Amino acid sequence: MVDQKTTDNQEKKGITRRKFTIGVILASIGAVFVSLLSLLKILSPSKKGGGGYVSTIKQGDKLIYAKGEHTGSYVDFSSLQIGDAVLAYPEGKTSNPANLVQLIKLEEKEYKKPTHIDLTDRGVVAYSAICTHLGCIVSWVKNKKLPETSYTECFCHNSIFDPTSGAKVVAGPAPIPLAQIGIKIQDDGTMVFTSDFTGPIGPQV
Amino acid sequence: MILKWLDERLELKKFNAKFLTKTFPTHPTFLFGEIALFSFITLVITGIFLGFLYEPSSKMVSLFGAMVPSAYASVVRTDLLPMGMIIRRIHHWSAMIMIAAILAHLMRIYFTSAYRKPREINWLIGLGLWALAMFAAFTGYLLPYSNFSVTATSIAYYIAKSVPWIGNWISRLLFAGDFPSPYTVPRFFFMHVMLIPILLLGLIGLHMIILIKQKHTEPLANKGRKESEGGKQLIGIPIWPEQMLISIAFFFFLLFVVVLIATYIPLNPIEDYGPPSPGTPVMRPDWYFLVVYGCLKLLPGDLAFSILGGKFTPETIGGVIFPGLTILVFALIPFLDRVKKPQNYIENPLHRPFMTSFGIGGGVFLSMLAAAGYIDVLNITPTRMIIYTVGASLAAWSISYVLLHLYNKEKK
Repeated sequence: MVDQKTTDNQEKKGITRRKFTIGVILASIGAVFVSLLSLLKILSPSKKGGGGYVSTIKQGDKLIYAKGEHTGSYVDFSSLQIGDAVLAYPEGKTSNPANLVQLIKLEEKEYKKPTHIDLTDRGVVAYSAICTHLGCIVSWVKNKKLPETSYTECFCHNSIFDPTSGAKVVAGPAPIPLAQIGIKIQDDGTMVFTSDFTGPIGPQV
Repeated sequence: MILKWLDERLELKKFNAKFLTKTFPTHPTFLFGEIALFSFITLVITGIFLGFLYEPSSKMVSLFGAMVPSAYASVVRTDLLPMGMIIRRIHHWSAMIMIAAILAHLMRIYFTSAYRKPREINWLIGLGLWALAMFAAFTGYLLPYSNFSVTATSIAYYIAKSVPWIGNWISRLLFAGDFPSPYTVPRFFFMHVMLIPILLLGLIGLHMIILIKQKHTEPLANKGRKESEGGKQLIGIPIWPEQMLISIAFFFFLLFVVVLIATYIPLNPIEDYGPPSPGTPVMRPDWYFLVVYGCLKLLPGDLAFSILGGKFTPETIGGVIFPGLTILVFALIPFLDRVKKPQNYIENPLHRPFMTSFGIGGGVFLSMLAAAGYIDVLNITPTRMIIYTVGASLAAWSISYVLLHLYNKEKK
């Protein structure tokens, strides 16, 4: 301010008023943008919205069909043939996809470790139906002639699980086996859960 | 009369002299960009129609006695309208054609080295347009909220989640919480109909302004011609009226083709997929995502490791790192293959053995990965497919390089 003339005439070196002002403007624009970044935090709610695969199955929950013409009614043991599989939910807890299980019936002697034999009942075993790769729901590929060679497959990226050996991964990108869950057949043919999942369920990311 | 009135106010003559006399090259490959642009216009028009009918919500409503998400119900109702299903298919097919046209355009630029100085910026903007178009397609996937939509989107959710360190946060930002959350559909709707189209429009505008400023690259025939022979002048036709008429005719021809395809080839039959339900259908994404899909199929599940607390899973490698690296390679091309002086002539692909063979090898690599999406149909094991992929791309690369090299030697 005092020496305006000299500053104008001199070669502009060091911090001039103009450079200072431009610097302040740029810095404040930068600061505004940085502060706006906090918006991104607000836009990313951390509250669970139904995903995340935390099962709410309790022991004693009754199993109901999740799919097909009998959807919603109790799973009936007598309708299960050797080599069959169905998708089932615990009664009243169908809104949580993590609760979906696949019931498989095979000859009792087919099961070997690491299957938890004590959690099966009369050849019926239950595994989580959520693929451990990216959360698709697994399907049953039935071999009618040789029921014991049927297997569980996730059609999304072709992960294949062996139900007779604790649903271990036979092929495909799934990183870990499907978790088993205990079931028990009651006198009237309906089924109940008797344990929690034996391991983590859902995608492992 | 009207023209005169407008001219006195808007100086149309100046505009005419500045923009409309620009020359457009006549080679048909220069139309790829136009195909992309026209598909975008078709997408916007059909999108407006669909926007009137769509309900962005996953609340359960009753449809013919069954409880389904209202987004799904509104799309089923759209399909039942006269022409409704056709419009929806035109929308989807246009998206596919747009991405294909962008790719073809990109290949034309790559093989003729039109990305070189001074056109690097437009190359990068073009890549951005490509990425945005894919993102638009991805957000469009979820909207019908069918069994297919939800499965495809949940795969993307876990890919987003697998980003090391910030994956949880990114996935929640994109999907408005953990998927499926009631807020996901409204957020995707907003991104699909507002955010991405606006970004696309802005970038397309920028792309074209820079194009008009820099002009097209000139055909080789113009190289070395003296001014008296018509050199320093683009060989081609002026934008107005010739190119404009060709473009308009071409737009309607393209629209005709799209409508024809949409009429006879079904796409995304949501009535077949049904609303979200237990049981995942056998499904594959649209072709432009097959590369990532195939990559995810090939990577073994036990490929996980962690660095500094960040978890790297096969999904991180196949779904995040690999596409990221691919885009990075594309983005770096003009900076690796650079020239000192501005280059305004296109080059004959046959005269640049390294770049052309690299392009062919890379193209084969990506195509093989896309084919890997079908290994279950082709009955090939992942290990063997990896060997095929690497082998085929290396072979394509080296063979084309040797052939081009020999060709150029002979010429000299």
